[in-house]
Amino acid sequence: MYKQIKKISLFGRKISVRTSLFTLLVALLVGLTQVSAQDAAAPADGAASGAAADAGGGASGDAAKGEALFKNNCAACHAVTAEKSVGPGLKGITQRRDFDWLVKWIHNSQAVIASGDPYAVKLYNEYNQAQMTPFPNLSEDDIRGILAYIEQANAAPAAGAAPAAGAAAGGAAGGATVQSGAPSDLFVLVLVALLVVMLLVLGVLLVIVTILSKAVSGDTTTPEGEKVNFADRLKRNLLTAANNPAIRSATIWVFILLVAKATIDGTYSIGIQQGYAPKQPIAFSHKLHAGEYAIDCNYCHTGVNRSKSAHIPSANICMNCHGVIKNESPEIQKIYAAIENNQPIEWVRVHNLPDFAYFNHSQHVNVAGLECQQCHGEIQQMEVVEQRSSLTMGWCIDCHRKTDVNTKGNAYYDNLVQLHDKYSEGTLKVSDIGGLECSKCHY
Amino acid sequence: MKFQVINKYVGVLAVAAIAFTSCKRDPNDTGWEFAPNMYRSVGYEAYKQVEKHPINPMGLNMREPVNGTVARQHYTNVGGRDFGGGDSTAAVNSNSTTMEGSTDLMVYNIPKDSIRTAERVLKNPVPLNEKTLAEGKVLFERYCQHCHGAEGEGNGPVAEVYKGVPNYKAANFQDMNDGHIFHVITHGWGRMWPHKSQVTPEERWEIVHYVQQLKKGS
Repeated sequence: MYKQIKKISLFGRKISVRTSLFTLLVALLVGLTQVSAQDAAAPADGAASGAAADAGGGASGDAAKGEALFKNNCAACHAVTAEKSVGPGLKGITQRRDFDWLVKWIHNSQAVIASGDPYAVKLYNEYNQAQMTPFPNLSEDDIRGILAYIEQANAAPAAGAAPAAGAAAGGAAGGATVQSGAPSDLFVLVLVALLVVMLLVLGVLLVIVTILSKAVSGDTTTPEGEKVNFADRLKRNLLTAANNPAIRSATIWVFILLVAKATIDGTYSIGIQQGYAPKQPIAFSHKLHAGEYAIDCNYCHTGVNRSKSAHIPSANICMNCHGVIKNESPEIQKIYAAIENNQPIEWVRVHNLPDFAYFNHSQHVNVAGLECQQCHGEIQQMEVVEQRSSLTMGWCIDCHRKTDVNTKGNAYYDNLVQLHDKYSEGTLKVSDIGGLECSKCHY
Repeated sequence: MKFQVINKYVGVLAVAAIAFTSCKRDPNDTGWEFAPNMYRSVGYEAYKQVEKHPINPMGLNMREPVNGTVARQHYTNVGGRDFGGGDSTAAVNSNSTTMEGSTDLMVYNIPKDSIRTAERVLKNPVPLNEKTLAEGKVLFERYCQHCHGAEGEGNGPVAEVYKGVPNYKAANFQDMNDGHIFHVITHGWGRMWPHKSQVTPEERWEIVHYVQQLKKGS
């Protein structure tokens, strides 16, 4: 208290201690009354919401039962808030419509629309004529419970809204400062790193300069005493070095070896497209679809269990979801355009196995039970699909040598396994059933 | 003078450094091919299009099947063990032990708006046993789970953005019969789009078995 008084008097030296004390008292009083007002308000709010909940629960329906019913039957299409999803948000539904109408609508919405009820028809058209599933087995009590739950769900956040909003605002403000701070921090870091690198480069340059200038300014005279410039001396030294047979042959050998290595590397990479990641006509992300949304590979690549090719999905499979969602995206618009113009989407094939090598997806996926990722890499993390494996013959053979045949639950292999166990050691590998035969893949 | 010479050397070094480090293959480049006429198929392959087809519309190697063509595995009611696989015409003569009196080869032609007919007429021709149920589970995981959720509660990762995916366990779904579910997979329902191009009838019937199990919540 004393400190505060001191502070105040420090701020305004001309204000007398008495006046400052008075203001302090007033401030304290105001603060106290505010606190008590808040204290009083809090239970009042609580009581009000409790009363509301009681009214909802006691008079009209069981909110707890309604919650379970809502989550099972309604939540897929309706939000308890005013937010629209498939159907309208249900906040304040009891004010909008009377109970009897709601019961009729929930039991059979199509009948209400057919009866020509103007509100129903308007609603039906507003939501793209999506038919609401009729729920004839929800009793009036059930519906009361659901309505009570909706009211309760909307009342509960309202009571707790003020502090929550305050906290959220505080959090947002904090977040904002952090966010605005984060990039600048990064920027500073990058700048510092750049500065360090530049200083290092400068240092190295200085060293070079001193060495070179020493070389230039040091012995600048010939044995005859003439002054010779740097270029001439360099020329002379180079000539001596070039005339030295040891240096000459070493240089030539190093050169020949380097060229040979580059040539061999170059020839080995002929026909190998590892790392090929072409740009596709539509920026489809496997990371999003297969990764984040965990859509099974089979959903789109329907042939992978049935045929040689894994199949590139036709546009109708895209439409299974994108007929409804994300249809404003320019990339999705390309699919719509392709369908409307009956134009094929020209996807670029990523894995180009040469024609002289036979490969069958169903054989490897369905029969052998391999995971797609074993050959294609972590597809579910790829924004743009890339050829991860080399797809060379050595790569195929290597796997055929190492991999056990998937004989489990496959009667075709029963006799083979018996014979193998009788006459050979180890497990039945793919190489044991002809996985290394030339004509299996080249015919 | 001194500095000019030094600059020259530094310049050469820099160019060399860039030249040695920047040699990276363009991701759009397939690289070199040896003897492309051995790499590329002489016959027309459906999923490999090197150059435009001279005759087909839009230069495509693929052609749409003739109107009205039905793939063999797309018959719905094929009796006995030959269901769906192999030669479906043989099914007429096979002694049907699993299905009673439905050895007719019928193409599923109940139109989309006649779901009540489907409910009344259709019976699941695939016997319910451990094997078909397990297969149904695998197929459900492939084709349905990302929306309908592993337990059919409508809480798959896609459902969160797609909205409107129901919970099978809701009371409202308890009296839905096999025919209804089959029809919905085939033609779609509400926000769900048809899946008949991805799932064969036999697979649909197996999924139906699994969905019935999920519905009961066991």
